[in-house]
Amino acid sequence: MYTTSVEMRKRITILLTLISMVLLLLMSRLAYLQFVKGNELTDKAIDNRLREVPVEARRGTIYDRNGKELAVSISSEAVAAEPRRVTDPEGTAAKLAPVLGMDKEVIKKLLTKKTGFVWIKRKVEDAKIKQLKQMESSKEGELAGIRFIPESSRYYPNDNLAAHVLGFATRTDAIGAGGIEGAMDKELKGIAGKIVSERDAAGREIPNGESKYIAPIEGKSLVLSIDETIQHFAERELDNIVQKYQPKHTAIIVMDPKTGEILALANRPDYNPNKYWEFDQQTWRNFGVSDSYEPGSTFKVITAAAALEEGAVRPGDHFYDPGYKEVLGKKIKCWKAGGHGAQTFVQVAENSCNPGFITVGLALGVDKFTQYLQAFGFGKQTEIELPGEATGILVNPKKATLLDLATMSIGQSNAVTSIQLVTAVAAVANDGVLMRPQLVREIRDVNGNVQQIQPKQVRQVISKSTARELRGILENVITNGTGINAYLEGYRAAGKTGTAQKAGPTGGYQQGKYVASFVGFAPADNPKIAALVVIDEPQGAVYYGGQIAAPAFKAVVGDALKYLGVPPQLTQSDVKDKTEQPKAQRIVPQLINLPLGEAQNTLFQEKLTWSTEGQGKVVLGQFPLPGAEVAEGTKVTIYLGQSAQGIPADSEVTVPSVIGKTLREAAAMLALTGLKMEPDGSGVAESQNIPPRTKVKAGTVVKVKFVPPTKPPDNPALAPEGGGAEGHEGP
Amino acid sequence: MKRRPKRHAIDFYLFFAVICLLVIGVLMVFSASSVSAYNQYNNAYYFFQRQIIWAVLGIIIMLTVSGIDYYRFKNLAFSGYILGLLCLVAVLAAGKTINGAKSWILLGPMSFQPSELAKPLVVLELARILSQKQKKIRSLREGLGPPLVSLGVVCGLIMLQPDLGTTMVLLLTGFTMLFVARARFIHLSLLAGAGAVVAAFLMTMKSYRLERLQTFIDPWRDPLGSGYQIVQSLYAIGSGGLFGLGLGQSKQKYLWLPEEHNDFIFAVIGEELGFIGAAGVLLLYALLAGRGLQVARKAPDTFGRLLAAGLTSMILVEAIINLAVVTGSMPVTGVTLPFISYGGSSLLFKLLGMGILLNVSRHTVDEEKPVQRELGL
Repeated sequence: MYTTSVEMRKRITILLTLISMVLLLLMSRLAYLQFVKGNELTDKAIDNRLREVPVEARRGTIYDRNGKELAVSISSEAVAAEPRRVTDPEGTAAKLAPVLGMDKEVIKKLLTKKTGFVWIKRKVEDAKIKQLKQMESSKEGELAGIRFIPESSRYYPNDNLAAHVLGFATRTDAIGAGGIEGAMDKELKGIAGKIVSERDAAGREIPNGESKYIAPIEGKSLVLSIDETIQHFAERELDNIVQKYQPKHTAIIVMDPKTGEILALANRPDYNPNKYWEFDQQTWRNFGVSDSYEPGSTFKVITAAAALEEGAVRPGDHFYDPGYKEVLGKKIKCWKAGGHGAQTFVQVAENSCNPGFITVGLALGVDKFTQYLQAFGFGKQTEIELPGEATGILVNPKKATLLDLATMSIGQSNAVTSIQLVTAVAAVANDGVLMRPQLVREIRDVNGNVQQIQPKQVRQVISKSTARELRGILENVITNGTGINAYLEGYRAAGKTGTAQKAGPTGGYQQGKYVASFVGFAPADNPKIAALVVIDEPQGAVYYGGQIAAPAFKAVVGDALKYLGVPPQLTQSDVKDKTEQPKAQRIVPQLINLPLGEAQNTLFQEKLTWSTEGQGKVVLGQFPLPGAEVAEGTKVTIYLGQSAQGIPADSEVTVPSVIGKTLREAAAMLALTGLKMEPDGSGVAESQNIPPRTKVKAGTVVKVKFVPPTKPPDNPALAPEGGGAEGHEGP
Repeated sequence: MKRRPKRHAIDFYLFFAVICLLVIGVLMVFSASSVSAYNQYNNAYYFFQRQIIWAVLGIIIMLTVSGIDYYRFKNLAFSGYILGLLCLVAVLAAGKTINGAKSWILLGPMSFQPSELAKPLVVLELARILSQKQKKIRSLREGLGPPLVSLGVVCGLIMLQPDLGTTMVLLLTGFTMLFVARARFIHLSLLAGAGAVVAAFLMTMKSYRLERLQTFIDPWRDPLGSGYQIVQSLYAIGSGGLFGLGLGQSKQKYLWLPEEHNDFIFAVIGEELGFIGAAGVLLLYALLAGRGLQVARKAPDTFGRLLAAGLTSMILVEAIINLAVVTGSMPVTGVTLPFISYGGSSLLFKLLGMGILLNVSRHTVDEEKPVQRELGL
């Protein structure tokens, strides 16, 4: 048996050698893992065991200027899961589904995800969390792997109030969107903290494990310039407007003209930021800030301001309105058929007379006019603390024709935002100083540090004296003119109406689509409040700004002044004179040659009733006759028929100054005024035989002497073709 | 019948290695399992208490068996083998499925794993057959056929559970026994080749096995899915460094490491006791291998020689597979670490085998003497 045992021993030795070698290899592998890869694996292992539980920072509160809460954070909890720890996904999902109101299969899918952590539902109401926690504690392990994580959710105590000012914080991640929540998200959100600790696979902390708590830094609180009460007034009036006229959009902005602080800003359609997700995204849009429109007559405030400042017109200057103004061969109609006849500039403003303002605008010139538009802040953002602000669109002055200038001066062609317009008009109220519209007054941190935001003067746009002069004119608009419906008992208010026909998407103006507005301020001698009411596409027969926007202005501004404790200025007798008399007695307006609808509107505005006789679309006669004093509500009989407009050939017009103009310009200017020109020589006008501002009969020939220019004309040659200036402008 | 040399004392180093591994095992089962035991049974000592009882019982069995002369088992080997087969059939018929394998028979509060019993019984039977077929060992059909059939039947039954780990241990153990029993290299090569083909076939048959292979190549491919076990194991070992985090200080045992008191207990050893502790365990296995095979060399007869070599291989094959898995050196296979992993059946039957090995060690003869005597030197 020698060979047998020797061979076996030999093989046993080989086997032992093999085993030893394998053990040696394993030992090397061990050394490699523990020494070479040791640090890397240790780090990865700790990383793997570390759980970072975010601790949300409480979002800052938003207050109104009086410390009333507009947006607060309240605590709630999220339901999350650690899928690895979930022992029974099917059963757990079945238990969670009814309480959370979610689909069982959806939850099951989440619970079986191959990940360490998954959110099931965020911001769950307290009652439901309680229910789940009870379920968990009643039978052990019932909800294995389910975690409850505290977080805060945003609450807006006043629901829709000032929704567009506030915006909202998204319900899952509390990210500010829209409004102040979006614009000031960085300040409001604070810095999230976290708990970092070594956990077992079930998510519980390991004894003696590493752990670190990084406290969150609470978000800063904001004090807005908004006054909750005035905001209420504005919201109330918008509700009225919506109920009566069902407009596409409508907005009211109330501003303190001295500081530029926004006291109220409201839009319709609106939404409830507490459940913003239930509303169409279009309702989140801040119409007053993000949308621009052609303002129409309210813009005449700007035309007047520029012209008065430049001396292009004086309040007492005389104008004649034949019912239209011809510019470059195009007739731009006055809103009042037949025109306003002879008027002073103050009356032009009171009547919102288009030919009058066109004359003034033409006298000012494109460059000057544009310069003022820019100085008033049009064409660029106002820098209000709101996201999505539009710039508006200004006609390029280098390409502007006289026709453009003409339409611009009555508020067409240029598009502005509501916030731009109210800010510009507030500058008139503020002695000519344009302020930045301001929403945030204070930023407060959690330690009580208060950062005050100071009002910012942008620039002096017009002089103090011009501003005061214009305020007087605008006051007359309310007491005597188209703004009568904004008349505030006991207060001197100043303002301007506007009714603009909307431009269609392809150019030209759309029949029956208007933007009615009213902009103004009060008290006129020491303005405390400036406000703008805009109504986009009101439905129904009544659409003039003076009819539908002015009453809202009156209600908001009147209530705000009383609320602010501004003492009434006029005596009771003044009030009687101004309010009761005009209310009782009405002057029958001129209706002849007006289209039927317009005649009816005019009568409506004058608080008169009517009956019609005959067939046709144009008023041929009326009774009582124009100018008759009648009681409010008197029935005016209007006789209808088919007729062309009459043109009063012997009306009186004011001769413009053509000195310094080119032949073509002078001809255009005189033609616009209704005069004829007899040129003498060529170049630029040196003299004219009838001095400027003289009243003459329409059609009078003016002799103008031209001499070769000493320098090139400021104004490039006028383009012969006209723009789409068929816009219908109302008061 | 040959005249038997007189019995002497058991091999002390062998005994020492086994006892050391047992002590380390009981301690580490306690340390590793306390968290999950508390979680599962609200009793941190749950597995520890049971493991102590098994260890004490096992030592008693080992010492008892070491007093029974091993050659008495030669005649019982076939009956034992049949008993093993019956148990394996029983488990397929009435076993309980745990982790997807029907490996357990429940006997009231106790559970019993027939494949653990089968291991020493198969070694015994193979030692018997191979020692009787020594003269025909070079013949494939007459020499290698019978032991391969015995082995194949057992492995087939175990694969029905299915338990790939135990099958691998048995096949490799059987293979080393054929090797020691002087099977021809050409036959051994053929067997190894056939094994490789079968392994490849099995690998593609079950998609999870293929996934295990991919995971082995890159555990971080899916660290939360198929790579989870091995990644967590490597985290534990890597965190240990030279001296470890200290006994009881494992962080990975906080439910991160799966089977932490069982298949992956070595990872906890690496984490808590560091390279020193883990390498120490390796050295104890090396000592066991050295002394066990020394016993085989010095065994007085072929049966004893094959028995000693087989029992030693059985332990070492299992240990090496386990260590290779835990250190990420081979695809995950469910094999426990002998004497250390938690488990009653495994411990008792392995210690039974060690008792037999220790008995062989009492009969060893100085290997040089018979050689010199036979050579007439």
